Amino acid sequence: MRLRRLFWCGVILAPFPAFAEAIAEGVVQLPESRSGPVIAKRYEIVSKGETLSTQPPLAVVYLDGSFTKPASAPKRQVAQKDLEFLPPLLPVQVGTRVEFPNLDDTYHSIFSYSPAKRFDLGRYRPEERPIPSEVFDAPGLVTLRCDIHEHMRGLILVLNTPHFVITAPDGRFRLRGLPSGHYTLKAWIDSRTTREKPVDLKSGQTVHVDFP
Amino acid sequence: MTAKKAKANPRAVKGFRAKLAAAMMLVISGITALGLYLAQRNVTNNANHALEQDFQAELSSLDRLQELRHAALAERCRALALKPRIHAALEDNALDLLYPSAKDELRDLMEGQERPLEQAAGTLHAKFYRFLDGVGAVLAPPNAKDVGSLSAAAEAQLAFKKLPDKQQVGYIWSNDPASDTVNEVTAVPIFSTETGEVISALVVGFKPFEPGSKNPSAGMQSGIWVSGRLHLPASSDGAKSMVAGKLMKLLTNADRARDSSTLRINGAPHLLFFKLLNPGSLFPPAYEVFVYPLATWAAQLHRLRLQIGGAGALLLLGAFVASHFAAARLSRPVEQLEIESEHDRAERQRAEAALASTTDELERSARYSADASHQLKSPVTVLRAGLETLMGREDFAPEVYEELSGLLHQTHRLTGVIDDLLLLSRMDAGHLRIASDPVNLSQLLEEWLDDLEALPDAPDVNIEKKIATDLSVAGEKQYTSLIIQNLLENARKYNRPGGRIRILAREENKQVVLSIGNTGRPIDRAEQRHIFERFRSIGNGLVSGHGIGLNLARDLARLHGGDLRLVVSENDWTEFEARFRFMESGTNRAT
Repeated sequence: MRLRRLFWCGVILAPFPAFAEAIAEGVVQLPESRSGPVIAKRYEIVSKGETLSTQPPLAVVYLDGSFTKPASAPKRQVAQKDLEFLPPLLPVQVGTRVEFPNLDDTYHSIFSYSPAKRFDLGRYRPEERPIPSEVFDAPGLVTLRCDIHEHMRGLILVLNTPHFVITAPDGRFRLRGLPSGHYTLKAWIDSRTTREKPVDLKSGQTVHVDFP
Repeated sequence: MTAKKAKANPRAVKGFRAKLAAAMMLVISGITALGLYLAQRNVTNNANHALEQDFQAELSSLDRLQELRHAALAERCRALALKPRIHAALEDNALDLLYPSAKDELRDLMEGQERPLEQAAGTLHAKFYRFLDGVGAVLAPPNAKDVGSLSAAAEAQLAFKKLPDKQQVGYIWSNDPASDTVNEVTAVPIFSTETGEVISALVVGFKPFEPGSKNPSAGMQSGIWVSGRLHLPASSDGAKSMVAGKLMKLLTNADRARDSSTLRINGAPHLLFFKLLNPGSLFPPAYEVFVYPLATWAAQLHRLRLQIGGAGALLLLGAFVASHFAAARLSRPVEQLEIESEHDRAERQRAEAALASTTDELERSARYSADASHQLKSPVTVLRAGLETLMGREDFAPEVYEELSGLLHQTHRLTGVIDDLLLLSRMDAGHLRIASDPVNLSQLLEEWLDDLEALPDAPDVNIEKKIATDLSVAGEKQYTSLIIQNLLENARKYNRPGGRIRILAREENKQVVLSIGNTGRPIDRAEQRHIFERFRSIGNGLVSGHGIGLNLARDLARLHGGDLRLVVSENDWTEFEARFRFMESGTNRAT
């Protein structure tokens, strides 16, 4: 179903790709990984001091600015699987409803004390229906925790913009479908570090931006 | 003994005995006083020791309680730190949610009954608790009722400049005007489970442990000294200020962790102990203070003093009696000495008196002799003159002349005896002085020998003589002559018919030795010792003398600086020896 929709979108948009959108791409210089090359592809949220980041490091690159909210709230999911949040880091646009499905065989009790979003889902079983969810309507970083499993930690980065992307483990990113104009491109690296660069986007052009 | 004592000087002996007794009493009093002092010190030390042990016991229960509390709190905080909500509140900048998140966890801390010491640690009955943020400041609770109300001033005392990484014990004033008390607080650090860093601290306040419940009758009071103020609940304000003043002085002078002292509260002695409760803590130093009344100890001491005093008094009494006897016994030799010396003194006085009277008698007799001689001389002279007148008449029958001649001879003898007595009395009175002129002894002897042969009744004796020529002696011729006459007359008088007289005179060691010996019956051995005594005649039975000749001769010889002695008198031979000081003829005086 989803594949078919994507297919039709591709057919319709195929004649205008170069004119309709601008593209930003480049490399974010990520902090040194503490655990070497990723093999298991498992990411976790760590706090060092009072700084939260993913481990191995990942960055979120987004185009800052004020954009209209989507008419219907987009839906995303942060699942709990194997006593971990999956994905550990989720960037969403303001107004997005995030579901927290329990894929483990035990209770979870997801809550957040973060100023951007305080919520407490309470204890729920895997088969809890409807899937407990929250709408994130204020920008900011939300730390997800489980009251039962104290080690579990997840991050939701609530952004004003719909234009964001998570970098590859090597820091490379490619952000498509950007509007023309003068903007600021930002790279969120951890809870305390966000780098930014001004960009002039022109339709059909690809801008190369690196965050050293 | 008593009779003798009466004779001795009783005052002196009594004085000695009293002094001896006093000295012994003094020694015994000293020993009693020393005993009293030692006993008192012992009691005081014992009291201090016992109270200190009491103090130790209380402190150790306090320590035990604190240990249990600390362990329980540490465990509680470890558990808290593991709580995701606490983490979330602390780490996600949601401190307002910290107290609500911990409320359930710490609910039991604030609930439940206050328990006795043995169970207190398990329940951790707290009066209040507060969280500190990452920089050590107190996080204000949203609802003070849930976490125990605390005045702002008291709350301020809970903050640190930097979060401690170890448990801290402190004591803070509640600063409550209604009832200002001291609370015991324990600050427990909360470590991050991920980084191990101190992210917060929980400060829990308790009612301070109040010891002394075990022994309330002793009147012991306990309190806490912190921040220059004393919390002594069971004590009056006056007593409190006294203890506080003492503590202030003690703690200002030296930063002591523990010590004890004594002080007087309202006149009663008290023992004060204090010990630092929270050494090394970041909270201000607090001291546990114990005040013990020493009244019971003082009473005991008083009783003991009375006992020792009574024993001392008995001892003194016994010692008094004993020393009395001992002194009497010890002074006995002294009394004896005293008696003997008294005796000696009496003897001496008697002897002196006797000597004085003898001297008097002697003087009297000498005077009498002189007087008698003078009185006798005149009648004898008259008698002799009368007889000579009668001899001059020619009309008497020849038998009458013969009778008169005999009588005249007797008057001559009488004159000689009177002269001798007069001389003796002069010598006895010490009036006779003999000059020291050179007297030619050789010549004097020859003259006397001539006279001897010329006497009408010259005896039939052979005279041997061996006389050095010109022997001079120091003396006065009249008296030297008298000595020679005496000796020669004796030698003739006590000789036997057909006997001999031997006269030897020589110089020997600056002395002239004259020995005159004669044959005849020797003097009895028993008599020999007495021949120089006055009025003792040699008395050989045949001839009698008036008994003063030899005495006079010897006294004269001695006055000459020489002597006269009997050399031998046995086997038909008697010999006398006279010694004189030799003097060169021509020199006037020998010194």
